[in-house]
Amino acid sequence: MSASGFRAGTVLGVETSCDETAAAVVQEGSRVLSSVLSSQVDLHATYGGVVPELAGRAHLEVLTPLLADALERAGVSGSPPALDAVAATIGPGLMGSLLVGASEAKALAMAWDLPFVGVNHLEGHLFAALLEDPDVPWPLVVLLVSGGHTLLVSMEGPGRYRRLGATLDDAAGEAFDKVARFLGLGYPGGPAIEQAAAAGDPEAFAFPRPLLDEGLELSFSGLKTAVVRAVRARPDASDADVAASFQAAVVDVLVAKAVRGARSVGARGLCLAGGVAANGPLRVSVSSAAAELGIPVCLPSRAMCTDNAAMVAAAGWWQLEHLGPSPLDTPCDPALSLPFAA
Amino acid sequence: MLVLGVESATDVSGAALADESGVLAAATVARGRRHGETVAPAVHFVCERAGVALGDLDAVAVDVGPGLFTGLRVGVSTAKGLGFALSVPVVEVGSLEALAVEGAARRGPWRVDGAVPALSLVPVVDARRGQVFAGRFRCSAAGEVEQVGEDRLMEPQALARELGGLAQAGSRVVCPGDGAVRYAELVTGAGAVVLEEVRWPDPGVIARLGLSRFRSGGGREASKVTARYLRPADVRINWETRFAAPKASEP
Ligand SMILES: [Zn+2]
Repeated sequence: MSASGFRAGTVLGVETSCDETAAAVVQEGSRVLSSVLSSQVDLHATYGGVVPELAGRAHLEVLTPLLADALERAGVSGSPPALDAVAATIGPGLMGSLLVGASEAKALAMAWDLPFVGVNHLEGHLFAALLEDPDVPWPLVVLLVSGGHTLLVSMEGPGRYRRLGATLDDAAGEAFDKVARFLGLGYPGGPAIEQAAAAGDPEAFAFPRPLLDEGLELSFSGLKTAVVRAVRARPDASDADVAASFQAAVVDVLVAKAVRGARSVGARGLCLAGGVAANGPLRVSVSSAAAELGIPVCLPSRAMCTDNAAMVAAAGWWQLEHLGPSPLDTPCDPALSLPFAA
Repeated sequence: MLVLGVESATDVSGAALADESGVLAAATVARGRRHGETVAPAVHFVCERAGVALGDLDAVAVDVGPGLFTGLRVGVSTAKGLGFALSVPVVEVGSLEALAVEGAARRGPWRVDGAVPALSLVPVVDARRGQVFAGRFRCSAAGEVEQVGEDRLMEPQALARELGGLAQAGSRVVCPGDGAVRYAELVTGAGAVVLEEVRWPDPGVIARLGLSRFRSGGGREASKVTARYLRPADVRINWETRFAAPKASEP
C-alpha cells in the first residue's frame, strides 16, 4: 500500500500550460505507454512569442482528439479505460491555457470515477529526468531552464526540493526568444539561435556574463540589452557571430551557476530540465562540468526536456501515491511555485 | 432522458440536471470569475443531489457563448471532457438565447392584464473593453422565442440606436443580461426595459434547452464542439503580466 492509501498504477497526464497541448499514459511513473503532443509553434511564430489568447483557443480545439489518441496508442481505450488516475498541470503557466487542460481532466476523472491529481508543471520537468533515468543519486542539482522559467533546484528526492537560485528578470528561454526576434532569426528563439550560432564565432563579441561570480541568482535582461547595443554599434556584424557570442554567454552563466549550486549542496548528480536543456552547447558544457566535479550527469532526451504530458503523468503518479488526490475545486495558479522545503 | 447543463460564460457559473419533468437539481456559484474552481464541483453536486450518476446522462449541454473567453473555455472543456469520457453528444447552447428564453419566461413589466403582448427580447452580455454581445429575439404571445439574425459584438451606442429603432417601430423591447445592466442608462434612454433579475444565463435553462434540442436530433461529438468567441483573439503577448492572474478587463 502506498503512503497515501491510493495506488496510482496507470495515469493519464494532461499538459496545456503554455504552447504545447499534450496527453500521455504512463504506468507506475516510469513506463511511457503513449505520449502525444500538438505543438502551436507555427501559430505563435508570427508574433515572436506565445500569445496567451491564441494558445487558450488552440488548446480547446485539439485537446479532446489528442486524449483519444493517447488512450488508443496506450492500448487502454476501453470504456471506461484501464486507468487509475487523471493528472493535469495546474500551474505555473498561462491561466487561459491551464484551465482548459485542468477542466477537461477534472471532467474525465469525474466521468470515469477516478482520482484527479493537479500537478505542478515545474515538478513535472523534474520528474521528466527521472522518467528516463530512474537510478539518479540524491541530492540531485537540477537546472530547469525554459521559456518561462530559470530555476536552480536541489532535489533531495521526489517531493523534496530546495531552491538554490532563480532568474531575477527574464527566463533563459525568453532571452533566446527576444534576441532571436531582434536578429530576425525566427521563432522559437532557442533552436533558431543555436542553428545560427553553429556558423559563428562565440568570441566575436565579449558579451557580459551577468552575476557570473556572485551567488546563485541569475539575470538575463542586461545581456539582452548588451546584444541590442552591440548590434546597433556594429550593424555589419554577422548574425552568426552575434548568436554564437550570445549563446556562449548564456551557457557560461548557466553552467557556472549549476556548478556552484552543485558544490554548495554536495550534489551527487547534475541534471538539466526544460526546453532550453535541449540546447546542444549547454548539454556539452554541463556534461564536462559534471565530469570535472566527478558526478554523473542526467540529460533527458530532447522530447523529455520540452513540455510534454508524460512528465505530468509521472509527477501525478508520485503525488497520488504519496500525497493523495486533489479536490475538484483545485485552482489553477499561473504563478505556482515548487513546494520548497523551509 | 437525462441532460446535464454546464454554464460558465459569464460571472456566474454552475450546472444543472434536467429530464422531461424539468430541472432535477441546479447549482449556481456567484463567486466572481473562479470558474475553474466551481464548475466541476457544481457538476458533482447536482448529480449527488439528484441521485444520478454521470454514466446515466444521455447528453451534455453547454453554454458556448458569447461571453468571457477564459470562463467559456472552462465550461466548454468540462462538457467536452464529459461528452468524450461518457461517449454522449454535446449540445451547444448560446448565452444570449438562454437569457432570451429565461427573460420570456419571467413575469416582466411587459405583461399586460396577465397576457403577454408580442415583444422583442434583446439580451446583452458585457463583452468588457467597452463592448457588448447582443442578439435579437422575437417572443410570441404564446411565449415562444425565436432569434432574428445573429449574435453580434457591438458598441453600446450602436446597440442603443438599434433598441431605439425597435421601440419606435412600436415593439416592446426587453433586455436581459449583465450588459444591459451595465449600460442601463443607454438601454432605458432608447426606450427599452432592463430586465435586471435575469442578469446571467442560468444552468437550468441550459439543461432544459439542451434537452429539447437533443430530443430533436441536436448534439455533436465532443471533439467538434468549441466556444463561440465573436471577437478575434487579442494578439498582445503581455510579457510582463503573462504569469499573473487575469485582470477584470479581459473578456
Ligand atoms: Zn515547461
